[in-house]
Amino acid sequence: MNPLEHLRLSWRSIRGHKLRSALTTLGIVIGIAAVIAFVTLGASLQAGIIGDISPDDQRNLYGWAADPDAEGGPLAGAQPVVSQDDLAELERFDEVAAAYGYATIQTQAVSDGDERVAQGDGLIASGPSYVREESLAEGRQFEMGEREAVLNPAAAEQFESNVTVGDELTIVALGGQQLSVEVVGITDTAEGLSPFEGFEAAPRIYVPTDPYYVEGAASAGLAGGDGETDDPGQSADDDPSDDVRYLAVVIEAQSATESDVDAARDRSIAYLESDDADANEFVDDEDLEVTLQTSTELLQQLQDVLDLLQNFIVGIAAISLLVGSIGIANIMLVSVTERTREIGIMKAVGAQNRDVLGLFLAEAIVLGVVGAILGTALGLAAGYVGALYVDLPLVYPYEYVALAIAVGIVVGVLSGLYPAWRAARTDPIDALRYE
Amino acid sequence: MARSGTAVVLEDVRKTYELAEPVHALDGVTLEVSRGSYTAIMGPSGSGKSTLMNLVGCLDTPTEGRVVVDGQDVTTLDGRERTDLRGTQVGFVFQTFNLMPRLTALENVALPQLFQGVGRGERRERARELLERVGLADRADHLPSELSGGQRQRVALARALVNEPAIVLADEPSGNLDTETEADVLDLFAEFHDAGTTLVVVTHERHVAERAERIVHLLDGTIERIEKLESTGEPTSPPGPGVGPRSSRDADAGADGETPGGDGGDRGGDDPTSDADGPGTASDDRDADSSTTDRDDDGGN
Repeated sequence: MNPLEHLRLSWRSIRGHKLRSALTTLGIVIGIAAVIAFVTLGASLQAGIIGDISPDDQRNLYGWAADPDAEGGPLAGAQPVVSQDDLAELERFDEVAAAYGYATIQTQAVSDGDERVAQGDGLIASGPSYVREESLAEGRQFEMGEREAVLNPAAAEQFESNVTVGDELTIVALGGQQLSVEVVGITDTAEGLSPFEGFEAAPRIYVPTDPYYVEGAASAGLAGGDGETDDPGQSADDDPSDDVRYLAVVIEAQSATESDVDAARDRSIAYLESDDADANEFVDDEDLEVTLQTSTELLQQLQDVLDLLQNFIVGIAAISLLVGSIGIANIMLVSVTERTREIGIMKAVGAQNRDVLGLFLAEAIVLGVVGAILGTALGLAAGYVGALYVDLPLVYPYEYVALAIAVGIVVGVLSGLYPAWRAARTDPIDALRYE
Repeated sequence: MARSGTAVVLEDVRKTYELAEPVHALDGVTLEVSRGSYTAIMGPSGSGKSTLMNLVGCLDTPTEGRVVVDGQDVTTLDGRERTDLRGTQVGFVFQTFNLMPRLTALENVALPQLFQGVGRGERRERARELLERVGLADRADHLPSELSGGQRQRVALARALVNEPAIVLADEPSGNLDTETEADVLDLFAEFHDAGTTLVVVTHERHVAERAERIVHLLDGTIERIEKLESTGEPTSPPGPGVGPRSSRDADAGADGETPGGDGGDRGGDDPTSDADGPGTASDDRDADSSTTDRDDDGGN
């Protein structure tokens, strides 16, 4: 008796109990769907985030000094310790292509002529190369020391008269101070350019740290007055005018190769933790640790969290699969008992034990595989809807689809083996007498 | 396949069930069923009819003695070989029909060939042919639940015959049928018997048993007596038993062993050999025919 005949007969008896079969496979469907949906979302999320890291970003090291026990994402527990001098020193090393501070400046509003829009903290102060050449849609990078700005499309489109290169904007800082900037460039994406910003789309205005951060810090009397500081008074005791401190720094390696990045990192950390650095007085005193990581490494932490969450959900789904297989086993046992007489008939007309075994095993496997296929379809659909909803690029983990089918077969075999074995060794004489 | 003249031989068969105390379901039964014969087995409940059926049907093995089906000693076969022998050489017809409820009439008839590895097309063709012979060609795609009792039993008979078995065992085949349908089914049995099918029918009812050529009376696990009937009770069918002379000679050996089972001694007709001799010259022509391979043609016409 060939396997196709087994399948044909099994399918017949599954269809004979539509509701029962449907309910039985539901456990498998839910388990597989949960795994596929979350793995799809995970893969899409990963693609969405990793995909935002431009290859040129790979050579940037994002750094801060924080209590080593501080947990969380980038800048968690960071203190403003790196001085302007430190950055200048760092830039002097061969391994370092550029080093600049990073800070967000709180603002109230931005005006383009008469038009004024409210803007909270869309002002990002950093070095010129922070806005990479290839992410500029038009114009050029701003220059350090100039009152220039690069806008992202979201910021430009806020105004009815679309802001273009060459326009003058007036920015009202949190303290009411008016700052004027000349727009010199527009980027091509509304999403963040580095992990410091986050990757969500938002209106952003990029300006040089000098003069905007340096002036702001001086006028506020706070070197770390960028709003992100947990303890803004940290460096308030120092002379603010020439001791501007940065919470966050960006160090560019010579290239994106791992050796260059590592060399820049090692050199920079060695310097920042040495006695030559201004930063060191805080680093030493307060037992801070300097962290320098690339976007990929920073995202790795996020990735780890995602993986953990995904494993957790897959674990729950595995329990659902286990429950599902117990359901199949249970229903198969009921089915064997219920069909005792049929088994007797088949054996009387010449079915071998292996034929009966094959029939019931095939039935369990069909239940498992049908459950897996439905679950996969449902999971992919849920993943699609989820990715659409969260606005992520959809990435289907195809290897998981194959895995799901394999799991369906395994579940079918495992849950069907004992019932099928019971069916196979049924005594035809008793079975024929069975009512 | 070695076509000996006898379909089934039982030699001093005993079957003991080890319950609280040993129960001797069969206590030394010797019986021979020649090819093309029509045997009825009667007896009260507990006389060993079912056990005998199970043994002849290769569903069970005897505690002692030999059961030979189609020339093969069942007691020497392992489970798989026994199943094989049962599948190919034994056809069952049950009181409760025992059709697969979710398979159509056609698929039910084809089922035994499925387990013999016959291809789907060939199976269906063969099943259709048999359904035609039992007069149910137009019901081929009906489920058993859509058929009447008589129709179901005809499907069961077609299924029993699908592998051209050496013997067809019918257990109370008309037990669940009304009188009229019963007659139809028994007529069909007679028809197949005429076509050369070997039939063994277990029944409680005298008038069913009387359709056979002989009645084996069982009592307390032994053959009480074997009653030979002059006619099959089917008026239109010729009285010939369809047993070849060769088989008669073969059966002689077993004939002696059979007598202790009952009071057959004073009857003289307690074995198939006598049946063949009984009808006289008329049967000789038939015997000559049936020893060749055109049995089916013989009865079908």
